[in-house]
Amino acid sequence: MSEEYNAMELMTIVASRDIEDRKIIYVGTGIPMLVTSLAQKTRNLKITPIFEVGGIGPEMPTLPLSVACSRTTWRALRSADSSEAFEIAQAGFADYAFLGGAQIDKYGNLNSTVLGDYHAPKVRFPGSGGANAFASFAWKTMIIMNHEKRRFVEKVDYITSPGYLDGPGAREKAGLPPGTGPYKVYTTMGTFDFDEKTKRMRLFSLSPGVTVDDAVANTGFELIIPNKVRQTEPPTREELKILREEVDPYRVILGRGEA
Amino acid sequence: MEMKILEKGTKFQEPKITPNDFREWVRDNKPHAMEDKTMDAKTAVKKFMKSGDIVSHSGCSFVRIPVAILHEVLRQGIRDLYVAGGTRSYDVNLLTDNGRVSHIDPGYIIGLETLGVPRMTRKIVEQAITKGELTLTEWDNASMAWRHKAAGMGIPFIPVRHMMGADGFKFSGAVKVECPFTKEEVVLVPALYTDVALIHVHESDIYGNARITTGAIVEDWGKVRSAKRVIISTEKIVDTEDIRKQPDRTFVPYFYVDAVVQAPYGSHPGNMPGRYYVDIEHLTEYKNACEDVTGEALKQYYNKYIFGTDSFEEYLQMIGGEKRLKYLEDLEFLRVKPGGAPA
Repeated sequence: MSEEYNAMELMTIVASRDIEDRKIIYVGTGIPMLVTSLAQKTRNLKITPIFEVGGIGPEMPTLPLSVACSRTTWRALRSADSSEAFEIAQAGFADYAFLGGAQIDKYGNLNSTVLGDYHAPKVRFPGSGGANAFASFAWKTMIIMNHEKRRFVEKVDYITSPGYLDGPGAREKAGLPPGTGPYKVYTTMGTFDFDEKTKRMRLFSLSPGVTVDDAVANTGFELIIPNKVRQTEPPTREELKILREEVDPYRVILGRGEA
Repeated sequence: MEMKILEKGTKFQEPKITPNDFREWVRDNKPHAMEDKTMDAKTAVKKFMKSGDIVSHSGCSFVRIPVAILHEVLRQGIRDLYVAGGTRSYDVNLLTDNGRVSHIDPGYIIGLETLGVPRMTRKIVEQAITKGELTLTEWDNASMAWRHKAAGMGIPFIPVRHMMGADGFKFSGAVKVECPFTKEEVVLVPALYTDVALIHVHESDIYGNARITTGAIVEDWGKVRSAKRVIISTEKIVDTEDIRKQPDRTFVPYFYVDAVVQAPYGSHPGNMPGRYYVDIEHLTEYKNACEDVTGEALKQYYNKYIFGTDSFEEYLQMIGGEKRLKYLEDLEFLRVKPGGAPA
């Protein structure tokens, strides 16, 4: 029996299933907080979330509204400051970072700063926050965002957070710590990973009811389509119940999926 | 052996305040003796802040932000500010919405994180950038934290291992060099000194020995140490005897601090970890006022809550007084649900 769910609920649930146990994960503001909180509640994980302004290993009794809000240090292991939080990541402890963005390209470069000309912006977004450092330091970066053609573009207007830049070896050449980079992208249409050789985005799994053609039509660059495409399991009643009743009962973020 | 500059951000500039300038300032102007610094917000702002200053704010987004002091900054007509960013949100919106800012080093601006992006604020910022009335130098939360840290350490820059590859580097004032030790490429970010830091804390004695009793420290240790003047606003004044009993809990020793302002609920509508939670309804009222892109509703919001009031105490009465604040305290400790029903 499947239940009705909105796009935000679907991608949150799918991403939460992929949070690896016993790891340290840097959590960006917005949907990543929803995903991490859901994973903590549905799967009883021994993960350590870290927030960029100092919260280390909180229990998050309710959805944090900000990366600094009380919930990010609630029953935490330590309440540190921003430089310490970023230094921990720079020193190599960040197994995962979890980010959102407004635009992404085939190499997983993320834009959360500006659309159009930097000096005469069509739209100015809030900007990097901690994202640039997260994407530079984490061993694996997970990304979650709405899947629309105008967001999945050949080249982002501005690289806020580095993906594989312009291809294999580019991160290392730029001087970023080696062995890091985007790992998976969770969207309303499916899950995507990156081809080991070309570092280009590849379809990994399709959301229920979405076809390969749909995914291709909604992507502004050439997606790598593997021979065998997986199907994402729809959200279970249990996952939806916990997400709606325990994680975001006031639909602070989930409400955005209804647009 | 020389350190070769490989690449320079386009916003590279000579620092406004160097470590040596700061050392002399500290020698000549910081309070080396322990003296009573208590004063009201009006006096503190009048005495220690002026138009054109480089300013930093405590906390982040809508958490432990110095709202009580910022109301005074707005009322006293201070403008042309250079904002040292990090994750700024409601606090800097108060200034940009009213045209008081000429430069920002972000961080994060405009948005209210999970609560969304206020439309009018975004429009004001976009137009100011396009007209050249507001300039930005792109940094991010990590580089901003480290820039304050470098300043606090008394050194001119700090090497970091991010920013390369990202466009943030291009629009920053950073430089990329080859590390003389490892031969790896590193980015050097310049120390950032400020004229004044506005820091809201839980507890302070009359001298400015202050505590953040719980919650994330954000960039505040760096901000305190990198500022020529520090205005502390505090939820509560405590006895120095109490500070001396638990010195490990002191966040700032007095000699960094120039003014101590008692400001209970001074972060409202922001969250004060361990005291009161975010006033979501008030922030929603603000965000709704921003939906009117003629700017009229936002003007009314400011006239009602800030320009139409004479003090933060008056503002607290206006937002619902004791009853409202008690509810926000209950919310903080999960004793009630949003809206007020028992948890």
